[in-house]
Amino acid sequence: MDTALPTLALETFAVSKQFKTVKALHQVSLQVPEGSIFGFLGPNGSGKSTLIRVLTGLISPSEGHFNIFSESSSRGYRVRRHISAMVDRADFYKNLSANRNLHILGRLTGHAQQDHIDYLLQLVGLYERRHDKVKTYSQGMKQRLGLAQALLPRPRALILDEPTTGLDPLGMREVRNFILRIAEEERVTIFLSSHLLHEVEDICTDIALIFNGRLAAQGPLDIIFRNLDQVQVSLETTAGERLGSFLEKSELVSDIQSTSRGYRLKVAYADIPELITSISAADIPLFSVAQRNRLEEFFLNQAETDQA
Amino acid sequence: MRQLVLNELVKIYSLVRSYIGFALITILMPLILWGYGAGTNFTAQQMEESLSSMFIISGNPFNGYTAAYFILNFFWVHVPFLIALVGGDVFAGEEANGTFRIYAIRPVSRLSIFLSKVIATLIYTLSLIAYIAIMSLGLGILWHGGGDMLVFQDGILILEGKEAFRRFILAYGLSLMNMALVGGIAIFFSSMVRNAVGPVIGTMAVVILGVAVSTMPFEAFDSIRPYLFTTYFRNWEEAFFEPIPWGSLRLSILNIMGFTSVFLAASYLIFRRKDILS
Repeated sequence: MDTALPTLALETFAVSKQFKTVKALHQVSLQVPEGSIFGFLGPNGSGKSTLIRVLTGLISPSEGHFNIFSESSSRGYRVRRHISAMVDRADFYKNLSANRNLHILGRLTGHAQQDHIDYLLQLVGLYERRHDKVKTYSQGMKQRLGLAQALLPRPRALILDEPTTGLDPLGMREVRNFILRIAEEERVTIFLSSHLLHEVEDICTDIALIFNGRLAAQGPLDIIFRNLDQVQVSLETTAGERLGSFLEKSELVSDIQSTSRGYRLKVAYADIPELITSISAADIPLFSVAQRNRLEEFFLNQAETDQA
Repeated sequence: MRQLVLNELVKIYSLVRSYIGFALITILMPLILWGYGAGTNFTAQQMEESLSSMFIISGNPFNGYTAAYFILNFFWVHVPFLIALVGGDVFAGEEANGTFRIYAIRPVSRLSIFLSKVIATLIYTLSLIAYIAIMSLGLGILWHGGGDMLVFQDGILILEGKEAFRRFILAYGLSLMNMALVGGIAIFFSSMVRNAVGPVIGTMAVVILGVAVSTMPFEAFDSIRPYLFTTYFRNWEEAFFEPIPWGSLRLSILNIMGFTSVFLAASYLIFRRKDILS
């Protein structure tokens, strides 16, 4: 059996950040495995962006330190040589073209080769507009250029802070697909901050939850789901009364609530197949069995725990 | 560092505000030179008549040199605004536009970023002063001719053409140092705030206050004048003294350099520790 621990792309050690009267981060110790697509979840104002700004050197921690690919943050700016980021909304030098913007940023790390810039502009679908000033770009185009600038220094880990902010559903899907593609093709570790739970559940392999600046949970998504006690399931049927009396007798379910098209209830994740089989065996027609987003379930459970 | 400075120059010269100074000088200098020529014809004639009995004057005494000297007199009061427009934007502009989020996250030290911005601001200042020199002295000589230069400073001093040119080079060099100090003040304010207007207003407020106290003929201000950088802003005038008072010039240069160093050091300390939250 292979017992070797995974290499960590990012690791924080009791990082805290105090802004005058507000403590934005409390002793956050996070581990991001190399090669993962790591979802960093939390409500607005929970400290996600603050931690990202600490990792990217935009702000300094009040306490604690961090490693990037085993290099300590005590090495100063050098620790950032293997990472890149898109922090918050993508903003650029508006009077300059996308091509010129990427040249400016590329010069900082020795990645201003025109063929590399052209490749990235093609990758994000902006090659045809490369000579247009950024001020003429839509928010979606700026976000895509934000991804291109983040990939410019050929990072081993990419930190993306809510990369789909301001995008329409189509744009959001494009960005998600793009993240999956670069994670696979470029073998880049992705650290994705988001408050969009479905987005994270769709693409992430590992997650961490942060509430009020405190880390509430972290780990691989499949293990977290496996340990979920109960999930919420909605059942749609045309035989409401029969299903209702069946559920009342069932020992598998709890918290049964009537809905316009059936019932909503709680059931252990592992018992879902048995529940479906037994309803079918009772000859009750089921049109759909919809499980509430498991990550949402986990998130809300953690939020309740945090509030308690 | 060369690449970083190049970046900063691209940023500075991509902004419309960076050309306001050049546009202003392009319009203003010919206007002044025209006004100067139109207004001094009569005076020149009278001066020539009275001076020719005492001196042999080569060419028109109210020539390009005298015009450029005249322009330098108001230069040191108004040009700081043009410098502050650019210097005030170098840090605050990036914060206001959110571009530090893509720039300062790179594996580059804040010291390098800081130095590149300072050097680029200095290059901009140099380019502006060089343009002023070309448009005042260069255009002035083309327009009103060269010859000897008359300097009215505790009497009349006549400088031979070539010597006058050398003195102008020294005067522009001193002006460059003074304006670099203004750039340093603008950078200082720029490193403290997150909008680009504040540093311009702050710089001008400091310069206007300093100029007022330095130039007002009140004895009450005598004791504080040596501690004001604006007291040394007129050091360019000494370039036209005979002989050049090198001791006094050295003192003013040291003071200007000292003030510049203090403002820049303070700016760096602020920038190094600054949390970028925009």
